[in-house]
Amino acid sequence: MNPLTLSFRLLARQGRSGALAMLVAGLVVATAAMSAVSLFTDRIGRALEREAGEALAADLVVAGRDRLPPEFLVQAERLGLDTGEIILVSTAVFVGDESQLIDVKGVGGGYPLRGQLRIAAEIDGPEDTVSRLPDRGTAWLEPRGLRALDAGIGDTTELGYSDLTITRTLLFEPDRGGGRFLLAPRMMVHIDDLLDSELLGPGARARYRLLVAGSEAAVNDFRNWVQSRLDDNQRLITVADTEDQTGMALTQARRFLGVAALTAVILAAVAVLLSAMRFSLAQRDLVALLKAFGAKGGEVMGALTLMLLWLVLISIVVGGTAGLIAQELIAHILADGPGNNLPPVRFQPLAGAGVFTLLLAAGFALPPLLNLRGVPPMRILNRSLDQRIGISRLLWLLPVGAALAIPVVQLGDARLALIVLGASAALAASLALFGWLAMLVSGQLAARARAAWRFGLAGLKRRRGAGIVQVTALGLGLMALLLLVIVRAEMLEQWRTSLPADAPDHFAVNIQPDQAADVERTLREAGVVNLQVRPMANANLIAINGERPPDDRMAGQVNVSWIDQLPPANEIVAGEFFAPDATGEISLAAMWAERLGVSLGDELNFESGARSFSATVTSIREVDWNSFNVNFFILLTPEAADFLPHQLIASFHLGDADSTLLRELTRTWPNVSVIDIGAIIERVGEIIDRVSQAAQVVFFFTLLAGLVVLLAALEATRDERRHEAALIRTLGADNRMVRRGLLVEYGVMALIAAALATTGAGVTGWFLAAELFEFRYQPSPVLFISGFVVAIVLVVGSGWLGNRSVLNTPPVRILRTGG
Amino acid sequence: MNQSPREILSCRHVGFSVDAPGGRLDILDDITLSLNAGETLAIVGASGSGKTTLLGLLAGLELPTSGDIRLADADLKQLDEDQRARLRRRQVGFVFQSFHLLPSLTALENVMLALEIAGFDGVHERAVKALTQVGLNHRLDHYPRQMSGGEQQRVAIARAFAGNPAILFADEPTGNLDRRTGQSIADLLFDLNRDHDTALVLVTHDMDLARRCAHIEEIVDGQLVEKAVTG
Repeated sequence: MNPLTLSFRLLARQGRSGALAMLVAGLVVATAAMSAVSLFTDRIGRALEREAGEALAADLVVAGRDRLPPEFLVQAERLGLDTGEIILVSTAVFVGDESQLIDVKGVGGGYPLRGQLRIAAEIDGPEDTVSRLPDRGTAWLEPRGLRALDAGIGDTTELGYSDLTITRTLLFEPDRGGGRFLLAPRMMVHIDDLLDSELLGPGARARYRLLVAGSEAAVNDFRNWVQSRLDDNQRLITVADTEDQTGMALTQARRFLGVAALTAVILAAVAVLLSAMRFSLAQRDLVALLKAFGAKGGEVMGALTLMLLWLVLISIVVGGTAGLIAQELIAHILADGPGNNLPPVRFQPLAGAGVFTLLLAAGFALPPLLNLRGVPPMRILNRSLDQRIGISRLLWLLPVGAALAIPVVQLGDARLALIVLGASAALAASLALFGWLAMLVSGQLAARARAAWRFGLAGLKRRRGAGIVQVTALGLGLMALLLLVIVRAEMLEQWRTSLPADAPDHFAVNIQPDQAADVERTLREAGVVNLQVRPMANANLIAINGERPPDDRMAGQVNVSWIDQLPPANEIVAGEFFAPDATGEISLAAMWAERLGVSLGDELNFESGARSFSATVTSIREVDWNSFNVNFFILLTPEAADFLPHQLIASFHLGDADSTLLRELTRTWPNVSVIDIGAIIERVGEIIDRVSQAAQVVFFFTLLAGLVVLLAALEATRDERRHEAALIRTLGADNRMVRRGLLVEYGVMALIAAALATTGAGVTGWFLAAELFEFRYQPSPVLFISGFVVAIVLVVGSGWLGNRSVLNTPPVRILRTGG
Repeated sequence: MNQSPREILSCRHVGFSVDAPGGRLDILDDITLSLNAGETLAIVGASGSGKTTLLGLLAGLELPTSGDIRLADADLKQLDEDQRARLRRRQVGFVFQSFHLLPSLTALENVMLALEIAGFDGVHERAVKALTQVGLNHRLDHYPRQMSGGEQQRVAIARAFAGNPAILFADEPTGNLDRRTGQSIADLLFDLNRDHDTALVLVTHDMDLARRCAHIEEIVDGQLVEKAVTG
């Protein structure tokens, strides 16, 4: 017998059987979910990456303290990458008799490679978005720079030996970064003008950057090539390194979506396993018959494996198409939100989904089929030679292997995959344990219940294994969805409202010491609240205990401040904060100390201008960065004010004060810049909101996969239910009683799943709030009650729909079955 | 004065046919029989002769395509499925070849479930009494898988008699049991039939068992061909 022919015959013969249909449904739903999620997260991921890339104005940056070797540029161009160059230097700039310290940025090549610049032809004029450089001989200056220099558009500025005409005001540059404020105003010029200015001689402390952007592969090739060629003064800056906290949030978001998709995948695998076991169970007679007619075991197994392959191919086509349509729908739904700017669909993820389906089938559908080889031909004579279609010990390696491989394939990160898998397994195990306990209690209650209740509760007891799988799968799906609602609707709002009402929403920076008293008085008189004015200076960290500090972006030039008492939103975790009259001491933020390996008693050496000084670490602080107060990694004792050139930075809550105050402030003291950090808070909130919207869509598939598991489990126990329904009808139960019995069974199962899901979501939400958002989360009863009700309606509804045939089973069936 | 025996079951000119690829297929044709309270009737016949179908029709599990059946004074044709189910609750008991006990319920719970469906009070006491009558008072909390085939069939018999039905339908009740166990199950059935004055309709191909009934009807190709009255 030819296995190929047999496989086609099997497919034709079994094509319309419920078991095969369920197996195909499992594979198709899994493929569809996977394709939709892969395609969608690929688009979202690229969109997020693009946004994050904008924070760098490139995909990758090589930074150095000296001019970068020309071969770096040559190699990047050879790999087909777009390139740009930046030189950053702080210098005094003159317009007429006025001078001002300016942060000059010389740009060349294709800068900006990602994102766009916003400029205006005049102060307060309309914005213009451009992707080009300043022309040679021209300069674009920030409005505060213009004010500081008492200059206007068309004036000439002296930059070293170059005379440049100010032609535009510079309003926005994508790679400015949201986390660090420029003390001096920015001026953007053509890189050749900066090079010609002769400002870049030795000791100029200029910073050089090579920007590259292009295909992922080419960027990776360049990264690998350049990495081994970097010296101590050069480093790579990637999207993950962007100072912009939004960049970090977006990078995390993509991972989060991948993890969310994995939950759906894990559930789909369970559905496929259940369907395959049910299908195998239904094939025992056929296999026994074929064997009795002389087919060899290998031939039958070959045919069954080939049949599974055909099913996989059908599922890839059908599921892939469905996934493609689904992700397009998702993009449409989000058309007014993040979907607005999604890049077009790429088809590569579909190939991944195909591999995934094959892996899924091999891991979860093949083992039960292969187990059919144990069916004896004697079964056709004696059905009691039955054996349960489980999976033999060795064959368990397949699903276990697949379970390990699928997340790696999907996430492309073995460590993360293992963490997710471990966490999912732990979560599922906890849900299963609680589900088992709840069912045990239901079983006990069944003994005391009557009629429909007894029948329903006993049903749970009878199908405890399937019930635990259903409750666990549904619990996971529902929990994931509820968690998303909690994060989006509740935690975000609570996080926002957890900020004190008078949390600073504005910073005024670059206040000169002689202006401090006047600025402070002006602000107070205007009615701002929670005003804090703190000194800030730049210093170079040159040694830790006499040794050169590690090559870290948090070392080198650092901002320091000084104070005589522990500032608000700071808590000492080691040592003791300085006494008011202490000198030569230093207090470090725990994050900075850990990163640079500094501990109590260490001596740090700094250099500022021509002056060097040292201080001993006497305390380590935990800083609440979410307080939006002005905080510093490094705090010195107050005598630092005597020898460190410094400026002051004020933080305040504008409150009811007139917002024209801000304009007045910068007009009176043009060197002072006011930064609205309320906008930053809004931006972070917006990102969390968008990501959770996308994740909700992804988690919808998790719920869908949970429902497929429920249906597969229902399908697996349908014959048993029909038999039972027929029996109790024969004994005199009417339709109402059978219906009530089913309702009791599904109702209790739904109660357990919903209770587990809402409790799990609440506990996880609380944990996330405490660990990530650092505030106490108060679950809202309304949300939990509605989540609970929705969960119950979903489970009972799908159980009800899946069991209509049970209600229609005629009692006479009991006479025709062998039990 | 002698009271005339109460007729518990009667069927007149009952036929049953199904649609088949070759046209209408007659399974039963023109079946007429009756049974009084407490009487016993064996329906015998070869496999496929239609005896199980007849049992299903007589018990109201299905409706005939022609003819009339009266069960416990009710015309089955006039009742919908739920009404027939309610009739079975109090009037009918069943014993099957494959026992058909719910595997997750204990012997006691299996019997109690049937009594609860029938709406009896004091189901626990009644179930214990029924199981004691079949000699299983020491097996009340055992699950079907923990009992032998003969014991499972005893539980099924206890379940059938616990509600004191007017008529009991038994489909090959000894078919899955060895000869000796089958014998004791048959003894139990006939003893309870006498004690409870329950009419008994027995479908079997075992002529020894059939001969213990007062009446025997044989079906050949869907028709009653012979009527006999035994001892």
